[in-house]
Amino acid sequence: MENYIEKIQIRKSNKLAGLYPSTKALIVLMYAVCTFIVNTIEVTDIGLPLFLIPQFLVILILCKASGVLGRCIKALNTVAVVALIILLVQTFLVPGGDLIWRFGILRIYERGLRTAVSLSFLIMNIAGIFVWLFQTTENKEISRALEDSGMNYKAAYVFTSTLQMIEILGRNSKTIMNAQKARGVETEGNLIVRAKAFFPSLVPLILGAVISSEERVLTLEARGFTMQGPKTHLFELKKSGWEGKAAAASVLITVLLLAGRIMLWLL
Amino acid sequence: MQTNKGKGERKMQEKKYSIKTDFSMLAILIIPISVAVNFVGGQLASILKLPMYLDTIGTIFAGMLCGPWVGAVAGGLTNVVTGIANPVNFAFIPVNILAGLVTGFLARKKMFNVWWKWIISMILMAVVAVVSSAPIVVLVYGGVTGSGTSLITAAAMAAGANIWAAFFGTEGIFQLLDRVISFIICRLVIQVIPPRTLVKFGCGMNYIKEKDKK
Amino acid sequence: MAVVIECKDVTYYYPLTEKPAVEDLNLKIESGKFYGVVGENGAGKTTFCALLRGFAPGFYKGELKGEVLVEGKKTIEYGGELSAKIGYVFQNPFTQISGVKDTVFEEVAYGLENFGVPVEEIERRVIEVMKMTDIEALAEKNPFDLSGGQMQRVALASVIVLEPDILIIDEPTSQLDPEGTESVFRIIKALKDRKKTIILVEHKIDLIAEYADEVLVFEKGHLIKSGDKEKILSDISLLDRGVSLPQVAILGAKLKEKGFPLRKIPVTEDQAVRMIRESLKEGKQDA
Repeated sequence: MENYIEKIQIRKSNKLAGLYPSTKALIVLMYAVCTFIVNTIEVTDIGLPLFLIPQFLVILILCKASGVLGRCIKALNTVAVVALIILLVQTFLVPGGDLIWRFGILRIYERGLRTAVSLSFLIMNIAGIFVWLFQTTENKEISRALEDSGMNYKAAYVFTSTLQMIEILGRNSKTIMNAQKARGVETEGNLIVRAKAFFPSLVPLILGAVISSEERVLTLEARGFTMQGPKTHLFELKKSGWEGKAAAASVLITVLLLAGRIMLWLL
Repeated sequence: MQTNKGKGERKMQEKKYSIKTDFSMLAILIIPISVAVNFVGGQLASILKLPMYLDTIGTIFAGMLCGPWVGAVAGGLTNVVTGIANPVNFAFIPVNILAGLVTGFLARKKMFNVWWKWIISMILMAVVAVVSSAPIVVLVYGGVTGSGTSLITAAAMAAGANIWAAFFGTEGIFQLLDRVISFIICRLVIQVIPPRTLVKFGCGMNYIKEKDKK
Repeated sequence: MAVVIECKDVTYYYPLTEKPAVEDLNLKIESGKFYGVVGENGAGKTTFCALLRGFAPGFYKGELKGEVLVEGKKTIEYGGELSAKIGYVFQNPFTQISGVKDTVFEEVAYGLENFGVPVEEIERRVIEVMKMTDIEALAEKNPFDLSGGQMQRVALASVIVLEPDILIIDEPTSQLDPEGTESVFRIIKALKDRKKTIILVEHKIDLIAEYADEVLVFEKGHLIKSGDKEKILSDISLLDRGVSLPQVAILGAKLKEKGFPLRKIPVTEDQAVRMIRESLKEGKQDA
């Protein structure tokens, strides 16, 4: 007999990647707190929060240790683009404070540089820790964890179903778009022509989905969706065994950092 | 001022609407569809190279059909899901929640029934979108997020415009266009949903009477 | 036999309509019998199914007069637990998917998870049902990647696994090819052999003639005829009312009209062959 239940489970050999989702959430929270603390430590003559830059190494190390560095870097690229644009725009376009540097029409002012460094690396760090969370956690684990944490089963359904629906409607929209092209709907040309193509592609898609959701309600009712009483789950969340250590470490580091920051103020 | 108005509305409507009945089984199934429509709309807009995002069509649809709370959930969830791929989107969760809320309250007030009400509604929706995203874009991202329109904002800033003025000017026009197209799509779909189906949605009745009048 | 569902003076209006979709319906469904439901499109067959399951007025809203009782209790007084008593399968295979599962195995197991059945028992029951419905080879496929026929079998399996005593099956084959239709009917036959109470809406009248015990005929919202399938399906007058009858019944009637000595009008092919052979034999003996 095939062991179907075993095949559904997610097994991770990496102890960090395999941490329980709620532990990972705690780490994310602590890391965000740390980031804001580090942001207040200003160095150099003009008070740049430069420590945010080496702090980002922690993300890379964490991703590497969790065995997902490649995937994380891919996801971080989109974040990096945003951060870079912010860095450039803020550096060169925001006036205020002393003029630090000038070359032709390019000028850098003190205030612009400070917000540039602070904003872009805050974003890199905070987005980075979320990237780690989502690259080491599968959607199935997230929705199961949501349900375990006391969230209504209907809410958990909405979350899981949303991820599937995005895939299905994405697929359907391609089918409809191709059909419309075959029927002679122009998808290239001037703006008006292209805007017109938007409607026949989208309206049938939404309509079809809404109409079929009626029958899906009946399907769910027939499968006991609204049945009272506890539900069982074929998919079980596993602990990796490092939960205690990881939680303690993240809290400890945050507390120490906070203490250090307060000491600096007092001195 | 706006929150006061919102509270008043709720009080008036209390007999007719409740959050519990708002989230009927059908409404629960509309939420995933709405989020997916937001995705597909955005993708389609970029495939067709339209100068707008068009990524709130689903949120507006949910608000128009199922009321403010379902609209808000659809909006918020969209950014949660896109945030999984690109966490920068988390910051805009409140903007989309607000878009769903406002559309839903307008729907309850039957503000989508007559053409002159449409215009008021669309302007209101665009204003809310710009006003609610402005503080996030300016304070969290310093005015630019790396999207197409934000480059125009950056250019305006380079020309010496104030960061807030630059944002409102460029974003306003595009948001209004965005809402107009989104609204027309939703209205077209609602127009062809059979009345028998429409009545099962929280605000569905509001669109049926008008159909019968015709 | 025990009555499991009873309709008492049932009249039902969909919302926004002034004409009832079903009117003055009185009927008793008995345990272990197979009911074939026939009639033209819009005659009220699907509404009838929805009424028995409580979806009308529970989901469709509208107005219900009279009572529909399942095991003596009104459908409107049931909550989600009616899903344990009545299985429901309908036309469109593509909408009968939970939308939250990645594999056929999990899809079939979904109802049992909702029922809170222990995991080991789920596995045993799902495998058993997958064998019965011939979908074990699909167990690890994504439900959205299946063909219509495969999906309809998965939909049936997902309901059968809940082991309801009553099954309502509304035109399960109308969107399927002949091969898909055959596979679905193999499953329905297996259910009949297990003595389930089955209410089947089906346009393919020969299949009704073969499997049903009783036939219910709907016309314009009214139950115009009900009773033993041989009695109903051999009633040639129904042809004039837009009800299709088995080809062999029409043949039998024509033969009888022409003076061929048939004992009665056959409704299935087997019957027809047997009866005609008997008559021919008798004819020879007489001569």
